[in-house]
Amino acid sequence: MARKDSGAPEIAAQSTPKIVLTRTFDAPRALVWKAWTRPEQLMRWWGPRGFTAPVCKLDLRVGGSYLFCMRSPDGKDYWSAGVYRELVEPERIVYTDFFADEHGNPVPASFYGLEGNQLQEMLVTITLEEHQGRTRLTLEHAGLPAGEHSRLAAEGWNSSLDKLAEALQRTR
Amino acid sequence: MVVQQTRPDRLDLIFAALADPSRRAMLARLASGEAPVKELAEPLRMSLPAVTKHLKVLERAGLITRGRRAQWRPCRLEAAPLKEVADWLERYRSFWEGSLDRLDGYLQQLQGKEGKHGPQG
Repeated sequence: MARKDSGAPEIAAQSTPKIVLTRTFDAPRALVWKAWTRPEQLMRWWGPRGFTAPVCKLDLRVGGSYLFCMRSPDGKDYWSAGVYRELVEPERIVYTDFFADEHGNPVPASFYGLEGNQLQEMLVTITLEEHQGRTRLTLEHAGLPAGEHSRLAAEGWNSSLDKLAEALQRTR
Repeated sequence: MVVQQTRPDRLDLIFAALADPSRRAMLARLASGEAPVKELAEPLRMSLPAVTKHLKVLERAGLITRGRRAQWRPCRLEAAPLKEVADWLERYRSFWEGSLDRLDGYLQQLQGKEGKHGPQG
């Protein structure tokens, strides 16, 4: 008896559950790179329509952390944080991503009234390709296997964020 | 703030189960219909005990069920947990669609092309 419902074979064939989006922007790649890597620029577009991004802090180096806040139209703040794993200017950015509190400590989605009681860390991969002044962006957002989740709590995010704060002080 | 450590939830079990290529191959095979353990073992060139171990991981994650008949216990794919994963990913998809729309608008604005809108390939 055949069971081919719910798109199951597609998911089963992937390495981890993930979504892949592509988008072509009418802008050169260097500009798109800046929009992804400069806090003051990220603050202009991060989050869905109607949201604002009042805080975008980042330490742009491999192993460096970021902490973003997006504010919903009704004023609710959602914080997310993670660590840059790969930075290849101007073509590739890989970073981890998880829900956080305002200090960058990981929290489960249920902290924000969303489904999920566990700490869930995601891996985001951004690829930028330029063709005739236009930039094709491929975004992959994947769940990390469970083994990596447990590492998350052990990594001491507060101390990395202290380092981030110091680094940000120095660059001022 | 202390982060609460709770037992692994369903999504974690599903992710862990999907993280192994042999188990994904088994699921892919089961997507086209139920099968006995022996049939799942053959293409993977694995011993029956090794396959049984993988099947237990899949079973614990709710991704498969096994028949009750003693000799012939066919494995069957359960699609519901995969749907759960898909729904969870959908949340991120809608976040990104919204953000990328705004990024598009911002890039237009940066280049002084504010009036230009419409779908981008």
